[in-house]
Amino acid sequence: MRSIAGRVSPGTGSSSSLRPRPPVALYLHVPFCRSLCPYCDFVAVAGSAARGPSSRIAAFLDALVVELGLRADALDARFGPPGPGRQALESVYFGGGTPSLLPAETIAGLLALVDERFGLAFGAEVTLEANPGRDERGDPRALRKAGVTRLSFGAQSLRPAELRLLGRRHRSADVADAVAAAQAAGIGSVNLDLLYDLPGQSFADWIETLEAALALRPDHLSLYALTLDDPDAEGLTGPAGDHLPVASGARAWRERARPRQDDDRAAGQYHYAASVLARDGWHGYEISNWARPGHESRHNLAYWERRPYEAVGPGAHAFDGTVRRWNAARLDGYLAALLPAGGGAPALPPGGQEQLDPAMAAAEELILGLRTDRGVRREALLALPAGSSIFGWALAGELVELVQLGEDARVRLTSRGRLLSNELFSRLV
Amino acid sequence: MSREDQMIPQARLRNFSIIAHIDHGKSTLADRLLELTHTIEARQMTSQVLDSMDLEREKGITIKARAVRLEYTARDGLTYGLNLIDTPGHVDFSYEVSRSLQACEGALLVVDAAQGIEAQTLANVHLALREGLTIIPVINKIDLPSAQPEVVMEELENVLAIPREEVILASAKEGTGVPEILEAIVERIPPPKGDPDAPLQGLIFDSHYDSYKGVVVYVRLAQGRLRQHDTIRLMASGVESELLELGVFRPQLVPVKELVAGEVGYVATGLKSVRDAQVGDTLTNAKAPAAAPLPGYQPAKSLVFAGIYPLSGEDYPLLRDALEKLHLNDASFTYEPESSIALGFGFRCGFLGLLHMEIVQERLEREFGLELILSAPSVSYHVVLTHGRGVVEVDNPALFPAVNEIEEIREPWVRVSVVTPTQYIGALMELSTNRRGTFLDMEYLDPQRVLLRFEMPLAELIVDYYDQLKSRSQGYASMDYEEAGYRPASLVKLDILVAGEPVDALSLIVHRDRAAATGRALVARLKELIPRQLFEVPVQAAIGSNVVARETVRAMRKNVLAKCYGGDITRKRKLLEKQKEGKQRMKRVGSVEIPQEAFLAMLSMDE
Repeated sequence: MRSIAGRVSPGTGSSSSLRPRPPVALYLHVPFCRSLCPYCDFVAVAGSAARGPSSRIAAFLDALVVELGLRADALDARFGPPGPGRQALESVYFGGGTPSLLPAETIAGLLALVDERFGLAFGAEVTLEANPGRDERGDPRALRKAGVTRLSFGAQSLRPAELRLLGRRHRSADVADAVAAAQAAGIGSVNLDLLYDLPGQSFADWIETLEAALALRPDHLSLYALTLDDPDAEGLTGPAGDHLPVASGARAWRERARPRQDDDRAAGQYHYAASVLARDGWHGYEISNWARPGHESRHNLAYWERRPYEAVGPGAHAFDGTVRRWNAARLDGYLAALLPAGGGAPALPPGGQEQLDPAMAAAEELILGLRTDRGVRREALLALPAGSSIFGWALAGELVELVQLGEDARVRLTSRGRLLSNELFSRLV
Repeated sequence: MSREDQMIPQARLRNFSIIAHIDHGKSTLADRLLELTHTIEARQMTSQVLDSMDLEREKGITIKARAVRLEYTARDGLTYGLNLIDTPGHVDFSYEVSRSLQACEGALLVVDAAQGIEAQTLANVHLALREGLTIIPVINKIDLPSAQPEVVMEELENVLAIPREEVILASAKEGTGVPEILEAIVERIPPPKGDPDAPLQGLIFDSHYDSYKGVVVYVRLAQGRLRQHDTIRLMASGVESELLELGVFRPQLVPVKELVAGEVGYVATGLKSVRDAQVGDTLTNAKAPAAAPLPGYQPAKSLVFAGIYPLSGEDYPLLRDALEKLHLNDASFTYEPESSIALGFGFRCGFLGLLHMEIVQERLEREFGLELILSAPSVSYHVVLTHGRGVVEVDNPALFPAVNEIEEIREPWVRVSVVTPTQYIGALMELSTNRRGTFLDMEYLDPQRVLLRFEMPLAELIVDYYDQLKSRSQGYASMDYEEAGYRPASLVKLDILVAGEPVDALSLIVHRDRAAATGRALVARLKELIPRQLFEVPVQAAIGSNVVARETVRAMRKNVLAKCYGGDITRKRKLLEKQKEGKQRMKRVGSVEIPQEAFLAMLSMDE
């Protein structure tokens, strides 16, 4: 049964109220990849767990269905069953991993279950992350039929040498083919993820990738600085952690790569891309995201606007307006809880959560809001302890500017401020 | 506890300390002595029993003097009370060593069989001989394959005129020779003198503060006796108090009913302020006081000075309280309020040396949870003012008089003794002469090792001379130094400007000939230590109005979480909180955030 509850307009600014609310979006994490890339921190498994006779994919899908049921039961108990009285999902996002490894029928089945148990709004955005490789990008026609409205391709680069360096399986020609096929299949929005600040990547290299990407006429671009974190050092990789330990090969790769990155060069690369995209009429609606008007990702906007979202799958993160909750990353624990041996009652997978206090919620709202081009209400920033001195400092440092949007006097990041945003954000937490 | 009442007559008491170079096995030997005398049962042994401070265990050194009472039944069948008074082993703490030695009649001289005698050991043996102590020479670590006891015996004979028949060969690690050491303590070290029936005189050689018992003083009774419930008087301060408890160190405090002349023990005074019971004061009985106090100690002399400031101005009262409390436990540093334009309100502190400074800083941070900034360390200069207006002592470069006010500057010099294997003589000569040192003489300890003597300005010594000495000799050289008076010098004040503003806490006094080179090295180092800021930050060194060096910390261009963390907002927030903590550890000077290490940049410059 498809719910037709009307959309709530985004950015209503009531998000810091500490009341649990039903989700407007759902994230499903599919943790399988053909191979692992050494820079990637997302929860992913490859090798025999992802293909062949001992593949865990079938078991994972069973478990995912069980988790969807348990999460839906819990939502029903709190907010009543889906229907006209309850907020329906405006977005569903299949992330990974490489969810495009799943057959389109599986995606269709999952979406039907999601609609039945959570309620899917009419015209909801349904995103699937895909790798551009011939054997892993899936069939766009079948995906569209299954309900996918948006394909997000992990292109990363369009230069062969960089793709090799990053351990990607696809070639640059695969990206063009994948985009063309998606467009021909009538996928409503096509996104490309690209990386700058690659080890040794010259300014000219970056221009080459950017221009090649633009020539494919995507609807959306996510430009991320390659960030080589250490989730082990952050304490995120324990048995209940939301990240997997970093493999020794990946660790060594990152150590070799870091000295070949350069903040100044990266800043140039970013500012160049931002000016080219602005000139061509793209909407830079978040620090790392540009869309042709009307193609902004509603799913990601829900994160930045602090609207509630549900999440399933290993390492997935959810938010109900007051509590941030996550599943542990390890697949074994995930399967063991949801598909107990001997046919016992399934339990929610291991994980963790944190209850936000009003100060944390206010800081989050400012930080997430400032990431977007709408910025935040000036009053919200000034209401913070030391808010006016931080505001003055950020203005003087040319990190923010004051703009009038409708009735509101709003503060938003300047182009320089976007790249230096942590300098401001670390004063807000 | 049956030992409590067992009185040991004065003739069977022995007070001794151990003189040893760092790593020559003093702590291991002390551990063995404790074990063999059943002071601590083997199962309760932790290594370095006497070094109870965390810092001491981490650094493998003894900072505070400590005492422990051993009871030993000798081969003559009699039970002796042996008081081991532990001494610190680093060059900065010779002041503590002299205090400990004064409480003893004998000392074990422990020398590593593979390393031989070291500079500082020599200095301490000379101290002990000056105090008239009996020396028991022990060559330790004879189990090592590289042990050369013959060579070390020759050294002892050449340098200290110690006959080889007196030397005990030992391995504290394996227990070899330890029984012989105990027997030697009984046989060779004389019992303490002092009439138990004379009026009480007890020398306070250390103290600590206990929140239940108040000030606990460590005393050596020169004469008289001390009993439970006596009313005591501190002769210098005149304060009286009924004592709460007296006892001996085993090594924890064990109460006894009486202490007599010659004994070493502790007295819980019940006093609330350590100022009323200073180290070096004499304890007597209020009802039958001694006619005069004991000679006491020379107060510790501060050689290195630095400002200590709270990172956050509002912690100033906490820092003041912390310094007061720490001073109860370590009277050898000084502090008085000062203020800095860059750092706000803080304290000017005097230390025995650079290691001492580091230890005080670490203890303040660890034991009192403070976050601190130290200004660049300095020595104390004598500045002769023009027009016969006298001499002022200046230990803070920021407070140096203007150039036209100065007739002459005099700086403190030290005499440095270095013991080194011969192959490093050249490297160490170069190190010392580069530091404006002058070579005095050289003496062969044995064919492979020499004792070098230099004189040099103390200011040159405090800037990582010790570290350089160690690195240039691959760890083999050792050093000691003593003061050698003040001498006129051609010195200038080097100011450091950050973003165009002078930062007083970074100023330093340097030799005129090397001012420009030092300025260049210092700003180069500061450029590495000051993180990039939102705007570019020039860092300059200037003498008066003349800029001698300039570097630029380029503006920061990127600090962003550009990566996609999905809906994982928690991780984003934690990364930001971490950045915030990093910023809070920096000091905002004008518009620039400067990390702690930058204020000590002078200690880590390239030569």
